[in-house]
Amino acid sequence: MSMEGHDSGGLDEDKVLVGEYAFGLLDAAEHARMARRIAAEPALGAEFGLWQSRLSSLDREFAETPAPAAVFGKIESRLFGAPTGPQAGLWNSLVFWRALAAGALAVAALAIGFSLLRPARLDPQEFATQLVAALQSQEGSGVEFVALYDTVTGNVRLTALSGSVVPDKDYELWMIEASGTPVSMGVIPMERTEMTLPEDMQAHFTPGTVLAVTLEPKGGSPTGVATGPIVAMGKATMI
Amino acid sequence: MTSASAEIAELVARTALRDRAAFRDLYGRTSAKLFGVTLRILRDRSEAEEALQEVYVKIWQRADRYVAGSCSPISWLVAVARNHALDILRARKPVHDDIGMALDIADGAPDPEQSAVAGGERSRIESCLGELEADKADAVRGAYLDGYSYEELAERYRVPLNTMRTWLRRSLMKLRACLSA
Repeated sequence: MSMEGHDSGGLDEDKVLVGEYAFGLLDAAEHARMARRIAAEPALGAEFGLWQSRLSSLDREFAETPAPAAVFGKIESRLFGAPTGPQAGLWNSLVFWRALAAGALAVAALAIGFSLLRPARLDPQEFATQLVAALQSQEGSGVEFVALYDTVTGNVRLTALSGSVVPDKDYELWMIEASGTPVSMGVIPMERTEMTLPEDMQAHFTPGTVLAVTLEPKGGSPTGVATGPIVAMGKATMI
Repeated sequence: MTSASAEIAELVARTALRDRAAFRDLYGRTSAKLFGVTLRILRDRSEAEEALQEVYVKIWQRADRYVAGSCSPISWLVAVARNHALDILRARKPVHDDIGMALDIADGAPDPEQSAVAGGERSRIESCLGELEADKADAVRGAYLDGYSYEELAERYRVPLNTMRTWLRRSLMKLRACLSA
């Protein structure tokens, strides 16, 4: 008599059970019982291994389907406790920004180091009113910028350190305030460029402001909010 | 192992060492496949999405159980996803026993024979399935790929439950004899 009361039709009941187990055909109680037996009895373990190795070639038939973008943030928040809400993407993740800003600080410090190598400047006013942001490459984009901001003139000097032009795309610069809302500073070229920050934005450009570059459709984001991937990012630090 | 497979094996190994960047990379490389698994078996997008999260939480927690070289890393990842999805299906029915342990076993215990699995294996299982009657081969595939239970298969093929059970059990043994020949 078979252990689960079904007619095994003269088949080797244990082998049938392992097959049913491998295919997921057993109910929860039988499945759990077989799992314990497979762990405890080497012969059954070998039998299960045979099925696993043979069946895995069927795995190719599972069609690849891109998962929704928000899923990974939710996984990270389950594992690492980042406070991301249900809709929260990178843009809204405070932890994400903080982590990256911390990384950016290291590069900013390097930039400060370089600036200190220049002949000493005696004008304390000038020295106190400049902000630098090293925009580091994100997700392996290879795009890096350094931004220098003069708080007196409202002038932003942007220099690309690395990266290349992407056909039919533009890089767009964003300023992210402490509140986390990104405001566009416009499309930027790869060559060295200067722009003057609109007066209403000047007051918001302070130490701790994060600058980010995204890859957008030609002419910049059509919606006024970032639509493309973040390719470079960094936090403004006073120098 | 192909180079893509070796790269994924390395990402799994780095994930086992708690390398978050590697984990992120692993997710980027494999999530579409695993979402395909949970979606096909659960047939509900939001449930499949929820399951996918749980699958990667498990992968993070269990990456150290993957034994490099014992089976292809993607097979291992698919097994984690498939087992989890099947477990959700099973949990919809009355549960009488601890199902968590079943998962532990099913995810692990890779067999040395799996290292021999290569491209040629597909034709082998396909040809063995081809030796079964067409509807029985379809039922076997449905059990593996769609997670169909005996009840669902009996309904789909309009046969009594016990008939389906007998069919499939005999088919599995024929398949096994062919695969191990």
